[in-house]
Amino acid sequence: MRVFIFSMLLIFSTASFTLSSVISDIDKSNIELSTRFDGTNLLVFGALSPEIDNTSLLVEVIGPSTSVDITKKVQIWGIWVNKKIAHFQDIPSFYKISISNPEHPILKEIEYQKLKSIFYDFLETNSTPQDGNGVEQYYHELTRLKKKLGKLSIFEEKINIIDKKLFSYKVNLPKKIYPGKYKIKMTLIDQQGIELSKSEQSVKVSKVGVQEFLSSNSKNNPVFYGLFSVIIALFLGFSAAQLFRWMYR
Amino acid sequence: MQIFLPIADVPVDLFVLLILGAAVGFLSGVFGIGGGFLMTPLLIFLGIPAAVAVATEANQIAASSFSGVLAHLKRRAVDFKMGNILVVGGLLGSAVGVEVFRIIKSYGQIDLFVSLCYILFLGSIGTLMFLESLSTIQRSRKSVNTFKHKKKHNWIHGLPFKTRFKSSNLYISAIPPVVIGFIIGILASIMGVGGGFILIPAMIYILGMPTKVVIGTSLYQIMFITAFTTFMHATQNKTVDLLLALILIVGGVLGAQLGARVTVKLKAEEIRILLAIIVLLVCLKLALDLMMTPNDLFSITYGSES
Repeated sequence: MRVFIFSMLLIFSTASFTLSSVISDIDKSNIELSTRFDGTNLLVFGALSPEIDNTSLLVEVIGPSTSVDITKKVQIWGIWVNKKIAHFQDIPSFYKISISNPEHPILKEIEYQKLKSIFYDFLETNSTPQDGNGVEQYYHELTRLKKKLGKLSIFEEKINIIDKKLFSYKVNLPKKIYPGKYKIKMTLIDQQGIELSKSEQSVKVSKVGVQEFLSSNSKNNPVFYGLFSVIIALFLGFSAAQLFRWMYR
Repeated sequence: MQIFLPIADVPVDLFVLLILGAAVGFLSGVFGIGGGFLMTPLLIFLGIPAAVAVATEANQIAASSFSGVLAHLKRRAVDFKMGNILVVGGLLGSAVGVEVFRIIKSYGQIDLFVSLCYILFLGSIGTLMFLESLSTIQRSRKSVNTFKHKKKHNWIHGLPFKTRFKSSNLYISAIPPVVIGFIIGILASIMGVGGGFILIPAMIYILGMPTKVVIGTSLYQIMFITAFTTFMHATQNKTVDLLLALILIVGGVLGAQLGARVTVKLKAEEIRILLAIIVLLVCLKLALDLMMTPNDLFSITYGSES
């Protein structure tokens, strides 16, 4: 199937390409977060024109935004207490970036610009650094902790390039991911990092079944959810009493 | 088998939870305790946020105390008037407790607060229980029976608003039960416990209730308070994880039935010493977790989706 799609892409692409362009698709458009969800893989694939030579392909996966607090443990009277030290408003809960050419001359520059535009610019300024290391320390902790949790990866994964024209890229999504829209951006850049062409796909990640029922009602209908929880508990307590009375009659 | 808890927002192993529920249920069957004060810290040790552990445990206790109260109703071992007065105090206490909980949670310190409350309570109750059973054992070795049972006439009898409690054969003020109920309500809402370990001694030694109605009446109050606390946590803090509660209820029911049917060849004070050791171990673990230098000083917490 994959090979078939690739060859179809190849046929169409050679006919319709003008200057530099990238076309793409993904193997699923929906991901369901059920109670049993244990992470999943997403396959992104496509074709490039003209052949990849002096150009590089960037693939970014951007998850839905959340706010993030960085806390530091400080010792007070021998006890470790969490202290909030920085706040980032509305940054992607998940971010992955990969490049087809890991030897790109301005790789470090690209990395910094990307992290700045998606994370660093969203630091709320009321949190002034106390340690003398400046805001750089918050940036460092943010990226370090996000990497540790599997929610950030920068040029760690490989993009497969086939015959300089086709590409495929496997995205590994961990078991704890936020529901929402995940954008997959493919950008073709030249040696100076200038964008030549881009293509975008998206995947909808949503909670389903029990997961959806409980978390949406807990959030949106708390009165119903509270009563429901109590009634279920009382019903189970009653059933248990009945069951064991019947069993040990 | 791994499952994802919708409100706690963490993946856990279903069998681990079931076994944990059954183990605590078993202990509660053997020792005649509720088990909330063991279950909440154990859930925290599993990585479930303290706020969710407390609220969800209240939900579980609502189920187990209801099934318990049904058994005692059959034996007419519930003093409803006393129970209702305790409930009035308890509802107030629970409402206050949930509000305090919400405020501390908004400062991001709820994990610390719950841990400190547990260390304080488990530490003092465990130590008291341990010392008391030790001295009972020593006394019984000397075979001197110093146990006295007398109707005490204490300060309780000087308070106003006296009323008659027929089933308990008491004529006392309504103020002490309201105050005791209030304290239990606070405990239920900030620690996710039924509070039997405070309520039962208070009913016997402070109110002077006869032992035959104590358990039934305490379960009656605990059922109302934990049900109300569940509702309040669900609406104020949105921290009740019904899926987690269901698993714990199922595990707990099975364990408790087993525990109640196991004949333990131990004397009452030996059982109490064992229980005291378990309580102190949990307390110690909580205290160590707060005092040991963490592996990573920094952590990130996710806010709401936008």
